[in-house]
Amino acid sequence: MKNRFLFIITTFLLGGSLLLTTSCNKDDDDGGGDPQEVITTVVLTFTDNAGNASIFESKDTDGLGGNAPVIDDIELAANTDYTLTVEFLDESDASDVEDITEEVEEEDLEHLVCFTVQGDMPEPAIQDKDSAGDPLGLESTFSTGAAGSGNLTVILKHEPDKADAAPCSTGETDVETTFAVAIL
Amino acid sequence: MKAYLLPFRQWFPFMLLLVVASVSIKAQRCSLRIKGQIFHAETNAPLSFANVAIKESNKGTIADEDGQYVIDNLCAGTYTIVCTHIGCDHVEHQFTLNADDSLNLNFFLEESSVLLEDVIVKAEAIPLMETQAVSSLSKKELASTKGQNLGQALERVPGIANLQTGTSISKPVIQGLHSNRILILVNGVRQEGQQWGLEHAPPIDPFLADEIKVIKGANSVRYGAGAMGGVILLEPRKLPQQVGLGGELNLAGFSNGRTGVVSGMLEGKLSEKLPISGRLQGTLKKGGNIQTPTYYLNNTGIEEYNFSWALGMQKEKWSTEVFYSNFNTKVGIFSGAHIGNLTDLMNAIERENPLEKGNFSYKIGRPQQRILHELLKVKASVLTGDLGKLKLQLSRQFNRRQEFDAHRQFGSLPDNFDEPEIEFEITTYAADLDWTHRPIRNVRGSIGGQVLLQKNTTDFGALIPNYDNTIIGAYWIERWKKSPTPVEVEAGLRYDYQQLAIGMQGRDSINTDLAYSNFSATLGAIYRFSKAWQLRLNLGTAWRAPNANELFSDGVHHGSASYELGRSDLAPERAFDSGLTLEFDNGNNLSASINGYYNIKNDFIFLEPQATPQLTIRGAFPAFHYQQANVRMTGLDWQMAYRFLPKWSLQTQGAIIRAWNRDIEDHLLLMPADRFEQSLEYRFDKEEEEDTPYVKISMINVLEQKRVPADSDYAPPPPGHTRFNVEAGFTVRWNDQPLRFGLSVYNLFNTRYREYLNRFRYFADELGRNVSLRLTVPFE
Repeated sequence: MKNRFLFIITTFLLGGSLLLTTSCNKDDDDGGGDPQEVITTVVLTFTDNAGNASIFESKDTDGLGGNAPVIDDIELAANTDYTLTVEFLDESDASDVEDITEEVEEEDLEHLVCFTVQGDMPEPAIQDKDSAGDPLGLESTFSTGAAGSGNLTVILKHEPDKADAAPCSTGETDVETTFAVAIL
Repeated sequence: MKAYLLPFRQWFPFMLLLVVASVSIKAQRCSLRIKGQIFHAETNAPLSFANVAIKESNKGTIADEDGQYVIDNLCAGTYTIVCTHIGCDHVEHQFTLNADDSLNLNFFLEESSVLLEDVIVKAEAIPLMETQAVSSLSKKELASTKGQNLGQALERVPGIANLQTGTSISKPVIQGLHSNRILILVNGVRQEGQQWGLEHAPPIDPFLADEIKVIKGANSVRYGAGAMGGVILLEPRKLPQQVGLGGELNLAGFSNGRTGVVSGMLEGKLSEKLPISGRLQGTLKKGGNIQTPTYYLNNTGIEEYNFSWALGMQKEKWSTEVFYSNFNTKVGIFSGAHIGNLTDLMNAIERENPLEKGNFSYKIGRPQQRILHELLKVKASVLTGDLGKLKLQLSRQFNRRQEFDAHRQFGSLPDNFDEPEIEFEITTYAADLDWTHRPIRNVRGSIGGQVLLQKNTTDFGALIPNYDNTIIGAYWIERWKKSPTPVEVEAGLRYDYQQLAIGMQGRDSINTDLAYSNFSATLGAIYRFSKAWQLRLNLGTAWRAPNANELFSDGVHHGSASYELGRSDLAPERAFDSGLTLEFDNGNNLSASINGYYNIKNDFIFLEPQATPQLTIRGAFPAFHYQQANVRMTGLDWQMAYRFLPKWSLQTQGAIIRAWNRDIEDHLLLMPADRFEQSLEYRFDKEEEEDTPYVKISMINVLEQKRVPADSDYAPPPPGHTRFNVEAGFTVRWNDQPLRFGLSVYNLFNTRYREYLNRFRYFADELGRNVSLRLTVPFE
C-alpha cells in the first residue's frame, strides 16, 4: 500500500519535472552589451559675484579602460568669491548626452560630493543640503586667497555614511577626479 | 581497428565468473556468513583457487579446489565482494547483509548482466585505478558535509584548498590551480559555465553526488584539454537495479546565518519486464547574514533551489539514461566589501573592521549574484559483441550569470531597476563517444572523441566579448595489467583542436578567429610491492588554450577594484607534470598515503600587477595585465589514519605547495598557505559500520603565506591560525526506520581569523562558531 502511494507520488513528480524541463532556458539575448549609463564627464562651473562663469571639465568618454581622462586646468582669479556647481554627464554617446546630475539630486540621501584640496587654497564650503538636512555638495562656495597653485579633487560618493565623522571615507566611489588649479 | 583485434579473440577472456553466493544469516551480530561457489563461465566447471574478498572488512579467502568458498564472522551491513582469478577480469558486486533477513543471491558476473533464480544482479568489472594521486570523500565524510557547498566540502581533501569570496562563494583549488585549469564532471558531463572568474563558484548541488572524487595533476587525456590541474568527479549513485521504490530525506540546519537546507530524493524501478528506473531529487537552501566572532556581515544571505531527475533503462545488451539538473542561486555579496576604487579599498583595509556592524536579516540586497545552470544529457551504451562497450553521450548546458552592483546603474526608473550590471549567458552542446574494449593479451583501454560547441554572450557589461567556442578532440588510452604481476602500466594520447570566434565586446567589434591545437599525453604505472604497499607514478603533459577573458578582458572587475586588461596574442599553456604517490594499508588499523609532485607549467597565464595605476574618472585603479611566464609548482600532500586502540583512531593530513615564477625568479600570487589537520576519533563500537556512533575533534592549523611577491598585494597575507571543529554522528531506530543524525561545530572556540585565499580578507573576519545539525532519513 505504502509502495503504491509512493509510486503515484513519484510518477506525478517525475511527470511534473519533465514538463518543467521542456521549457529549457534559452539565451534570450544576442548580447553585444547593452550600453549602460556611466558618468564620463564632470563639469565644474565657477561663477563670480559679477555673474561671470568659468567652466572646466574632466572627461573620460571611452569608459574605465583605454585612454586616461582629459582634465582641464582650472584658472581662477585671486581674492575672489566664487559659487561652485558640480554637474555629472554621460557623454559616451555624443549624440545622446545624459545629465546624471538629476539622478544624484533625486537620490540625494544616497549621494555626497566631497572635495579635497592641496596647495594654496581653501576647501570649497558645501551650501546645499539633501532632504534629511545633510550636505549634498552639488553647490558650494569657493573663495580664493593670494595667487598660487594646487590641486582640487572632486569625489562623488554613493551610499556614504553621512553620520560618520569622516563621511568621505565611507561608501563607494562613483567619481574621483583631480584638477590642477592655478590662482592668478 | 577491428581487423586488428579479431585475430586475438582466442585470447579473449576465456572465462567469466559465476559466483553463486548463498547467504546464510544468523540473528547474532557479526557472525554472519557468506558462501558460494565459483564456476568457469564457458565450461560451467568449478574454478579452483580464486581469490574472494570483502572490500570493506578486508576479510578474504581463497576458494578450494571445487570453487567453494566461505567467509565467516561478518556483521550486518553493506559490502562489496571482489572475486579475482589469474587471467580473468576482476569482478565485484555490492550486497547487503541483514541480521533479521534472509536472502539468496545467485549471480552471474559478467561485464553486463544475466541470470538466475531469485534475483538478477548486475556487476561490472572493477574500474581501473588511476595512476595519479586520487582522493575521494568517503560516504561518512560526504554525509558530514551535507548542506555545505562544493568548495567547502572538498576542503577536507588534503591538497585541495578553497578559494573564497566571502563564505557563500567558494571554488576548489587543486595543487594551486583552479577555475579553467580544473575540470568538474557532473554525472559524466564536463561542467561548462563561467568558471574563469575568481568569484564564480561552480553551480552544482552537492546533494547530487553519491561520490566525489578528485584526481590531482594534469589529466587531460581522458577528460579533455584544460584539465591542467586536476579533475573533480561528482557521481550520482546508480539508478536502482531492484524493483521497488526508495528514497532519502535530508535536513540540515546551521546556526550561523540561520541557514536551513532540505533535500529529498525518490527513486525506483518499474519491473523486471520493463526495466525502467527513475530518480527525482531536489534541494532548497536559505540562509541569512553570517556572523564573525564579533560582528554580522550585512548582505551575506543565500537562496538556492535545485532539482534533478534521471530515467534509465537497462537491458542485457544495452542501456540508456536521461539526466536533467537545474541549479538556481541568489547570493548576497557582503556590502562592506563593495568598493568603488583604490581609495575606497585602502580606506576599508585601514578600518580593519567593517564600518557597519551589521545585524541579522534574510534579505539579499545589492550587490548580489544570480546564477542559473541547467544540464540535460542523454547517454546510451551498447555491448559490441564480446569485444567491449560503446558509449555515446549527448549533453546541453545553459548557464546564466548575473552580477548586480551596489549602485543600480544610472538611468530612468523603473524599467532598468532589476537589470544587472553584468550578464553572461553560455550555451554548450557536447557529444562524447567512447569505446572501451575488454582485455586483449592483458591490455585493455578505450578510444573516443568529443565535440563541444559553445556560444557565449555578454548581455550586460563589456568585460569580455561575445564568442563561439568549438572543441574537437580524440583520445586513445591503453592499460597493461597481468595478474598476478605487481605492475600495471597505462599510456594515453589525445589531440584537441579548439577554435574561438570572437565577436562584439560592448560597442566594439573585434571579429577575430583564433585557433589552437595540440597533443596531450600521459604515462603512468602502479607497482604493488607487497600486499600493504603500493606506488603510483604518473607523467603527463597537457595544454590549455587561453580563455576569452585572458585574451580580451578590458574593464574593472566587479567588486575587486582592479582594472584587468587581456592580451590577444597569448600562447596556449603547456604543462609537464610528474607525480609520485606512495600508499600503505595494513588492512587493519593503519593506512597512509603521501603524494609528491613536480609540475612545470610553461607560458602560464597570470595577472601581472602594473607599476602605474589605471586612471579613470572614478579614480585610480590598480592595473593588472594578463602575462605569461614559465612557472614551477611543487608540493606534498599526505594523510594517515591510525587506529591505536579498538575504538580510538588518530588521523592526520596536510598539504604544502611551493610555486615559483622561473622567468622573474619570484613567488606566484594567491597560492594556498601550508595547512595541517589532526583529528582524534572515538567510535562507540569496535566494528565500523555505517551506523556506528562516533565523535571526532579536529584541529586545523594554517600557516601564514609568506611566499608572495613583494608589493603585489594591497595588504600583507593574514597571519596563521589554529581552529577546532567537532563532529559526531549516531543513528536511532524508530519503528525500524533508521534516523541518522549528525552534529558539527565549526570553529568551536569562536576564533577570529582570516584566510589568505578569501578575497574578502581585506574587509572582514571569517565565520565565527557555526553549529550544524543534520538528519538523514533513508526509506524504502
